Amino acid sequence: MAQLTLPKNSTVQKGKHWPAPVGADPKNVRQFRVYRYDPDSGENPRWDTYDLDTTQFGPMMLHVIIYIKDHVDATLTFRRSCREGVCGSCAMNIDGRNTIACTKPLADIKAKVVSISPLPHQKVVKDLVPDLNDFYAQHAAMQPYLKTTTAAPDKEWKQSIKDREKLDGLYECILCASCSTACPSYWWNGDKYLGPAALLQAYRWLVDSRDEATGDRLDALEDPFRLYRCHTIMNCTQVCPKGLNPAKAIGAIKQMLVEREG
Amino acid sequence: MRTSYKNVTGLGSAHKGVSHYIKQRVTAVALLILVPLFLFQFLASITTGYEGVMAWLGSPFGLGLSFLVISAMVVHMRLGVQTAIEDYFGGSLRTLALWLNGFFALVLWLIAIYALIKISF
Repeated sequence: MAQLTLPKNSTVQKGKHWPAPVGADPKNVRQFRVYRYDPDSGENPRWDTYDLDTTQFGPMMLHVIIYIKDHVDATLTFRRSCREGVCGSCAMNIDGRNTIACTKPLADIKAKVVSISPLPHQKVVKDLVPDLNDFYAQHAAMQPYLKTTTAAPDKEWKQSIKDREKLDGLYECILCASCSTACPSYWWNGDKYLGPAALLQAYRWLVDSRDEATGDRLDALEDPFRLYRCHTIMNCTQVCPKGLNPAKAIGAIKQMLVEREG
Repeated sequence: MRTSYKNVTGLGSAHKGVSHYIKQRVTAVALLILVPLFLFQFLASITTGYEGVMAWLGSPFGLGLSFLVISAMVVHMRLGVQTAIEDYFGGSLRTLALWLNGFFALVLWLIAIYALIKISF
């Protein structure tokens, strides 16, 4: 159910300010506003601000937060791994838009103060780390693997080049959760709506020429909440750091269900 | 303690939603054609005065068109409000609101159809 205000103990407060290093050229200094929350402290979340000399780190937003952790404030917590847009770990909300920090250039951000917060509308484990357990479970519930009844062939399941091409734009999802957590329908009904990432994955298997469980997969999706909470808001497609189009995939699932009706 | 998988799979799929999806689109397209036609005919009949409106509503075409417009509109309204309720309400409040929505649409349709019949016959 839609909840538009934060509970009292979650209201974000003003936090610490970390001034620019002495001797830094003011021309090169930019201010970063970072969401901080430590569940062990019992305190409300807060916005800490960091004035940083941008000549001291690389061009991407991931460089910025790694610099903060290494040189300014070692208590800042975030996830990161591959630093090249493949693992999806460093997904967060930067300058009001979900993305992965490693492929987001600082130069692209025009705002005077660059805000960095965890993916929206998820429980926060600490600082920039959201609890994505339910998100991963949604992916698992899509049974993202080949399901067949026919006995497995001696070698491999064959697929024509044309059929393989249908999976382009679907298989590349890195499960960063930027899309699902950008979706208002997912915010309001995340307990029942599967969200764009899981539905993109569902369509990836629905459209796979080798998969024989299409009917069962469609059965599992036909639900006012699981699938039909998508109102083609398109936030998912707008934010996807891999340039994928979950909204189109969801539309295609709806089309398949209509086709099945006759 | 519940696992995330249990949270996500919940009570399973309700196996409905396609008919809502189809009806909403069919009524939308129908209204796109019916409403301008209805307005054009109805406004034209107004210029002929009270008797003219009564005669138009009493004609097979006027009655049929009015019946179709009212029916498509009520169905479309019900489906649209249902979507808004599903989006923004939760728990038993959602169930109650969905029931009331259906009841309201049915009553509205019955009153409108009763009025049409009374005028036409």
